[in-house]
Amino acid sequence: MSVVLTKNPMDALYNEFKEKAEAISAEVHRVADVKAARELVTKIIKELGTNKVVYAPSELTQSIDVQAIGKDAGVEMTSENLRQNAADAGLGISQLDYAIAEIGTLVGNATSIESRMVSILPPVHVALVRTANILPNLLETIALYNNKLGELPRYLTFVTGPSRTSDIERVLTIGVHGPGRLIIVFID
Amino acid sequence: MAIAKLKQDINSALNNDNLTGALGRFGEAYLPAREKAYEGKDFAAIREQIKEIKSYAADHMEELAEQFAKQAEKNGAKVFRAKTAAEAKEYIAKVVKEHNAKTVIKSKSMASEEIHLNDYLLKNTGVDEVAETDLGEWIIQLCGQRPSHMVMPAIHMTRDEVAEIFSKETNQNLDPDIAKLVKVARENLRQKFLRAGIGISGANIAVAETGTIVMCTNEGNGRLTTTVPPVHIILVGLEKLVPKFKDVGPILEALPRSATGQKITSYVTMISGPTPAIDLDGNIIEQKELHIVLMDNGRTAMRDDPMFKQALQCIRCASCLNVCPVFQKVGGHVYGHVYTGGIGTILTAFLNSFEKAGELQNLCLRCERCKTYCPGKIDLPALIAELRRRTVEKNGLPMGQKLILEKVLTNRKLFHSLLRTASVAQKPFVKGNVIRHLPLFFSGLTEGRSLPAIAAKPLRDKVGHYVPKSKPKAKVGYYAGCLGDFVYPEQGEAAYKVLGKMGMEIVFPLEQTCCGIPATQMGAPEVAVKLAKQNIEAFEKEGLDYIVSLCPTCVEVLKHHYVDYLKNDPAWKERAEKFAAKVVDFPTFVAKHGNNLKFKKLFTKATYHDSCHMKRTLNVWKEPRELLNKAGVKLVEMKGCDECCGFGGSYSIKMPEISKAILDKKLVNAEAAGADVLALDCPGCKMQIAGGLDAKGSKLPVKHTVELLAEALDD
Repeated sequence: MSVVLTKNPMDALYNEFKEKAEAISAEVHRVADVKAARELVTKIIKELGTNKVVYAPSELTQSIDVQAIGKDAGVEMTSENLRQNAADAGLGISQLDYAIAEIGTLVGNATSIESRMVSILPPVHVALVRTANILPNLLETIALYNNKLGELPRYLTFVTGPSRTSDIERVLTIGVHGPGRLIIVFID
Repeated sequence: MAIAKLKQDINSALNNDNLTGALGRFGEAYLPAREKAYEGKDFAAIREQIKEIKSYAADHMEELAEQFAKQAEKNGAKVFRAKTAAEAKEYIAKVVKEHNAKTVIKSKSMASEEIHLNDYLLKNTGVDEVAETDLGEWIIQLCGQRPSHMVMPAIHMTRDEVAEIFSKETNQNLDPDIAKLVKVARENLRQKFLRAGIGISGANIAVAETGTIVMCTNEGNGRLTTTVPPVHIILVGLEKLVPKFKDVGPILEALPRSATGQKITSYVTMISGPTPAIDLDGNIIEQKELHIVLMDNGRTAMRDDPMFKQALQCIRCASCLNVCPVFQKVGGHVYGHVYTGGIGTILTAFLNSFEKAGELQNLCLRCERCKTYCPGKIDLPALIAELRRRTVEKNGLPMGQKLILEKVLTNRKLFHSLLRTASVAQKPFVKGNVIRHLPLFFSGLTEGRSLPAIAAKPLRDKVGHYVPKSKPKAKVGYYAGCLGDFVYPEQGEAAYKVLGKMGMEIVFPLEQTCCGIPATQMGAPEVAVKLAKQNIEAFEKEGLDYIVSLCPTCVEVLKHHYVDYLKNDPAWKERAEKFAAKVVDFPTFVAKHGNNLKFKKLFTKATYHDSCHMKRTLNVWKEPRELLNKAGVKLVEMKGCDECCGFGGSYSIKMPEISKAILDKKLVNAEAAGADVLALDCPGCKMQIAGGLDAKGSKLPVKHTVELLAEALDD
């Protein structure tokens, strides 16, 4: 389902991101357009076999039409009453603003309660990102926000791979309080 | 009394196989992970930036605190400035009571541990529980212990112990399966997150310019704590302040890399103001309550101390613990307070108790390893030595030490004649050329290692003024050091042989005496100053080009410390500088001036032990290897070649148990290398390692590099 586009100026950054993010257990996909994104997300939901999906309304969730996806996949798709719904949903979908190639990190404004609840409470998180928004490294990302300090989000989040711990005998275990799977969908 | 308790804690830690096993494994995995994480990064440049940012912040603590408070309030937060732990606790309790919260969740905050917040809230508010949400912290909380590591609080526990603790908590019979145990924690804590009325968190960075709080976590508990409960309290120490938003960059680049060898933590959260939340009944709150408690509790006192201000450059990565050979053996609990290891000893002095820290400084070996790795560029060993000096200044030295230092060490003739007498008095204890068992207070020293005998004839009686047949290339003063003079004269003789072949004129100034390091280590710098003056006088009248020594610690003291001791005495400062400029360690001197040396092949397989002060303070490690290669020796590197052998001068007498535990690891690695000989460049390390091998019945000989060079010389 994911396509690899050639001769795109973002290719090198995307490839670097994919390598770095997969090294820390994230799952990375790239699709050509919103139609392909819609198909991919539907497939992911069906494979999960969950019956409730929560989402944070955003430009990308709207353009892939998550409500229609919910119908297609036969699941409850909601962004309401998230203290309850996000806690027992099988998947959360939200958009993130940037991706950092060097360290495989997603960055975004998570000021809305929906974007935080759906990305941290369910066991799986699907993150939608625009391929054009991949930045080379952390320092340039900080510089980008530094250039518009007046508009600094109240809750700026950096997410790198799924939740993890090594607190027992230094054994790496994926998925503690946050999601155990982070599925990243880049949309060209 | 206190020391006795410390010794007891040390012994129980050393006998805890779980602890030493887990810490040892982690210590080994940490270095390669860290190195990989820093690939492509310029650590030297990053730490320089951090040092600048944090030292500026320390100098401007008050104005940054004001700027931060103003900005955060503008963003909509409520900021409370707490001078003391009590003020911070009272304020937080007030907020908890106002909201009538029953469950409080907390995500990793060392500051809240520092002030014992949990206990206070349980006793002084109506809360039923204050749950730690970091997995490690929660394990520790459930079994009523303290964290043993700043980044990995439960590193000292095994999966079996955790299974037992969780079984008790959940009334189930749980298997010691780590993945399953983590799931149990997730389910249990999830319920607490969902019913919590208040979330309390700490902070890694506080940005004055924007009023932003930065927090790093891996598990996601930080995200939950700051998202799910409708009220959020952030407790942050003044040392976390930085001036600008862009200052977050370098700190965020170093913190995870140095802490756990990650390029970044799974979650980094930057909060610049209150956000919407959902209350316990499901109603949306447009702007939740965000309280920020900016806490002093000893931090401005630290800032006001000209020496200890440096410790505020700490970013709490705990890499000083990760590389500390003592920490790897005893863990964090012996430190007795929340902050452990090298930085912990210093923080404890200012944030908890100076008395306690005075004792803890005894744990430091001065191997200088922490200093090399600290991303805040803090000279931790120097700060710990200063703690020692202040403790001694306040409490005085024990009588025995006082007598030796003040009456014996500063009287060269008496000191040397006592050493000569000892060479006779020790006879009943000598077997071969090694002391097997020492009487009285030295007995701890022979625990697990044999001591070398004091030589029948010291070096000073064997060598003197050597003049080469042809015109001398340079005039070299030979500094023997106590071990080189009275215990290992053969090393000095070998040095004379090599230097002679190089065409040097060699002088042995007879008035030379102890370099003074034992006095500094015991906290009596005034004694060290007297010895410095004696040594400078002894050498300066000889009109020398160079002063050479086989002991890296002596070289460090002669070359670097003397100038520092005498910096406030202009006449002596100048003399010390001239003296210091001539001092050079033996391998560097031979590598530079020994091109004419001709060697026959030794056909020996040698492994090399890097002495702490040779490698880290003098930055000499290539030279001896090159020289050994020239002498035809085949080098086989041992695992952990630059890890401390546990000697640390008087440390092996003060803390013989730890010293021996560290030595044991070195011996295993040394023997595993499969070499014919172990080469090294420090008489102290030789005493420790050769003694340990002898006691173990090992046949692996230990030689100073100079001895191998002398053997290989083509006559």
